[in-house]
Amino acid sequence: MVNFTVDEIRVMMDKKRNIRNMSVIAHVDHGKSTLTDSLVGKAGIIAGAKAGEMRFTDTRKDEQERCITIKSTAVTMYFELSEKDCAFITNPEQRESTEKGFLINLIDSPGHVDFSSEVTAALRVTDGALVVVDCVSGVCVQTETVLRQAIGERIKPILFMNKMDRALLELQLDQEALYQTFQRIVENVNVIVATYADDEGPMGEISVDPSKGSVGFGSGLHGWAFTLKQFAEMYADKFKIDTIKLMNRLWGENFFNPTTKKWSKTKDADNKRSFNMYVLDPLYKVFDAIMNYKKEETDSLLTKLGIKLSLEDREKDGKNLLKAVVRQWLPAGDTLLQMIAIHLPSPAVAQKYRTEMLYEGPLDDESAVAMKNCDPNGPLMMYISKMVPTTDKGRFYAFGRVFAGKVCTGMKARIMGPNYVPGNKADLYEKAIQRTVLMMGRFVEAIEDVPCGNICGLVGVDQFLVKTGTISTFKDAHNLRVMKFSVSPVVRVAVEPKNPADLPKLVEGLKRLAKSDPMVQCIIEESGEHIVAGAGELHLEICLKDLEEDHACIPLKKSDPVVSYRETVSEESDQVCLSKSPNKHNRLYMKAVPMPDGLPEDIDKGDVNARDDFKIRGRYLSDKYEYDVTEARKIWCFGPDTTGPNLLMDVTKGVQYLNEIKDSVVAGFQWATKEGVLCDENMRGVRFNIHDVTLHADAIHRGGGQIIPTARRVFYASVLTAAPRLMEPVYLCEIQCPENAVGGIYGVLNRRRGHVFEESQVAGTPMFIVKAYLPVNESFGFTADLRSNTGGQAFPQCVFDHWQILPGNPFEVTTKPGQVVTDTRKRKGLKEGIPALDSYLDKL
Amino acid sequence: MRTVALISGGKDSCYNILQCIAAGHEIVALANLHPPISSNESNFFTLDEMDSYMYQTVGHDAIDLYSEATGLPLYREAIIGTSLQQGSDYTHESPEDEVEDLYRLLSHVKEMESIEAVSVGAILSNYQRVRVENVCNRLGLTSLSYLWQRDQEELLNEMILSGMNSILIKVAALGLDPKKHLGKSLQECQHDLLKLKAKFGLNVCGEGGEYETLTLDCPLFKKSIVVIESETVPHSKDPFAPVAYLKFPKLSLAHKVF
Repeated sequence: MVNFTVDEIRVMMDKKRNIRNMSVIAHVDHGKSTLTDSLVGKAGIIAGAKAGEMRFTDTRKDEQERCITIKSTAVTMYFELSEKDCAFITNPEQRESTEKGFLINLIDSPGHVDFSSEVTAALRVTDGALVVVDCVSGVCVQTETVLRQAIGERIKPILFMNKMDRALLELQLDQEALYQTFQRIVENVNVIVATYADDEGPMGEISVDPSKGSVGFGSGLHGWAFTLKQFAEMYADKFKIDTIKLMNRLWGENFFNPTTKKWSKTKDADNKRSFNMYVLDPLYKVFDAIMNYKKEETDSLLTKLGIKLSLEDREKDGKNLLKAVVRQWLPAGDTLLQMIAIHLPSPAVAQKYRTEMLYEGPLDDESAVAMKNCDPNGPLMMYISKMVPTTDKGRFYAFGRVFAGKVCTGMKARIMGPNYVPGNKADLYEKAIQRTVLMMGRFVEAIEDVPCGNICGLVGVDQFLVKTGTISTFKDAHNLRVMKFSVSPVVRVAVEPKNPADLPKLVEGLKRLAKSDPMVQCIIEESGEHIVAGAGELHLEICLKDLEEDHACIPLKKSDPVVSYRETVSEESDQVCLSKSPNKHNRLYMKAVPMPDGLPEDIDKGDVNARDDFKIRGRYLSDKYEYDVTEARKIWCFGPDTTGPNLLMDVTKGVQYLNEIKDSVVAGFQWATKEGVLCDENMRGVRFNIHDVTLHADAIHRGGGQIIPTARRVFYASVLTAAPRLMEPVYLCEIQCPENAVGGIYGVLNRRRGHVFEESQVAGTPMFIVKAYLPVNESFGFTADLRSNTGGQAFPQCVFDHWQILPGNPFEVTTKPGQVVTDTRKRKGLKEGIPALDSYLDKL
Repeated sequence: MRTVALISGGKDSCYNILQCIAAGHEIVALANLHPPISSNESNFFTLDEMDSYMYQTVGHDAIDLYSEATGLPLYREAIIGTSLQQGSDYTHESPEDEVEDLYRLLSHVKEMESIEAVSVGAILSNYQRVRVENVCNRLGLTSLSYLWQRDQEELLNEMILSGMNSILIKVAALGLDPKKHLGKSLQECQHDLLKLKAKFGLNVCGEGGEYETLTLDCPLFKKSIVVIESETVPHSKDPFAPVAYLKFPKLSLAHKVF
């Protein structure tokens, strides 16, 4: 345990090449927090006596109780690399030439899908990721999700195979089988990595490779870990081979014949795989000797490995002795910190390639240049990724990463919310930053200033930002791009105070809740209902508990969870719809058309987006979706929120003044796509074509007050004439279970309108993985239902996957969508029944 | 100059009269165009709101009182034509265009009162200005529009301070609610209008047809108009920007107390 004062840390912060910002990401229960503990125990700063306690980063009571990470937590660590290890760092931007110490900012993130927005927030402020995979269950759905997100944010991954103790002790895999398991996981990870980026990209080599030392093996629970580097170092002297060369030999298709002392590339009768022989064999021997109580063998092994046990440890036997021995032989902390220091990029390196995808403004302005160079003397650029509650109720630390310049206590800065547009005053505040603080697990320490490349918290910013934002001192600075979440808040409940007099407290509590979680949405419906929307059942449960106990502090009544829907169209409008402006002097003609399959998803992913060059986008749309090129070039906007999966296209031919009403029509479009005509849900997958407009010759008669409502009406008329349909969200559900429980899963899924599309056995285990699609609406109580039908043997992980049309005509009240529309309208306090067409459609 | 004031009953035409007087012109008559009269006796006017491109027609039922209120002669003509030329320019090609109704009216007034100028309340509508000027040129009259191109917010404030009492009698814009705004005075609506301007770019003086007013009293009036009975008439059932106007079956004049 290194004990540092704030001043000493502050000195380290200036050495940007010796900083590593990294997050730990993995599937739920793959052992992130436990692994993190072994690091904190080794190198945590300041946290003093508290560190080393189990699950240091799980700061909340419910996290400790449920053994699940809910909020991501940052820890700062200090680690010194030995002289010979420093040689592994070849890039001069990765280390100050004389400095051996490294400052590591680690963020432990939750693994459960429902909290993956926390992962997104963690990834944004870091440059590298330690991907933890349970080597028994392998790469799971959430591993893939977080890895994909990491690559998308240009975060470099390193891999750690956790829970080796289970593979050895419980599954008793033989050496070759274990090697194959490792090999498969490495391959799986690299396949995912390669899908989203390649090694020639701006990040350089990003695939993981055991022979390079970017893959670790071990057990977080037992506190031991190794990479091939550790073993290569042990043998380097014996073989008289350079460590790096030997590392290459220790992985893959390399076989050694101990009798002839020859290396070979193929397996023969009398040679052995080098990894098995030199890495696994010694481990297996130690395990075998200790677990089978072979006292003498144990002693001789211990002397061979040069391990001296303390008196206390000598008394132990079995598993406890094993833990003590291996932990001393291959300490996890050292191995992991070496991996982090050697393989993860410093801010100086990472910001070079991350700037272009983080910054919205021109890449040659002052801010962008300072970010690229990680220049502490440039203008301040900081991204606030989340709000962390303080001990003071209702106040938050704004947590984020300084990308350029320095943030100081008391400095005046521009606080820009996500809706800020340069040159505009909306969502912009110029305020003094009250205090800057270092955040470490449960503790905060005040600090004078923080230079770029570091992570810190700010006090006094929370009242100006809802969840995220950009802080800068450069007056022409653009925003840093908002984060894209992999999940969306599709499950919602209505809340009300048990005692109506507590309503103000509830409103205040909802505001705080909205701040404290990156994903949760708190909405007030027109009916006056307060809605909390989250990513899943568990997420909502935690949010509501927080709301009740921490934020509002009043007893609440909660409705049953309901899901949000989307409105779409299934055919082209059967007529060109006309609406007239209130003054009757302007007419808009429009049609709605469903988008081709795949396009809404492309827009969600950002493959087609509002910022693209219109020519490239037009070409893409015409190549992939057979859109007319000239039309595809004239996309006016996306919506809702200017990025959503609906399009407004101008297909008119030479209309006068059309551009002057564009802003108003776009405003009407954003409004209409946000609150659809059927039941006020967002629209999805609708393309609107403006066919013609006739406008008053005088600009003053076609202002926003005239055009916005008219545009909204014509959009609604177009939807109503285009066979509107409802879409419901669908989960991708991955269920792990033994073979005998598979039958029970099918039964439960069938009852809930789900269907299985993949079933496979996990190689080397008796476990099966069943993948299925399950409508979110049917997922409430699914986990419990599944457990009771499989004797508690099946564990589902549900992650939002796609939207699908709810079959049936929403105009018929007896159909499922008709029922949904009726219920939703009632809940939202809208007039009963879908409004009639003639309130939107005008006659010439 | 001897001036005829074109009045619609609205605030702009009325306020421009005040400006003309302040500038030393003499108002000798009032002129107004009203919707066509139907033969049906029970319903004197068939159409209250013609959605004309040129003229305010709602509130026409109060215009007759203006003559008495101001003590000036009032000349009226029916709007027979419709808007045929809708471009930004106007060349008097068709006698059926609604602009020609104005020509008829003004040439009649010119004959009777030998006027030299016309007071026009246009502020920003180029469409109106072009057409009025076309008519004036053809008649050799000068058009006096003191409000032309004035800042709308400032102008609205001035009108309110000038002692004019105008009420909203028609709303047709996003954010203006018949239930809330109809029958309210400018002063009462000023706050909402400014808010809507910031939100949707509404023209606070209603130049884009957002709303129409009826002036019940102004410093020029010798008697003020009193609304005894009014009814709201919905004009279109637009769910977002409902349009409705007020009709006045019963109005009277009251002596002003100074």
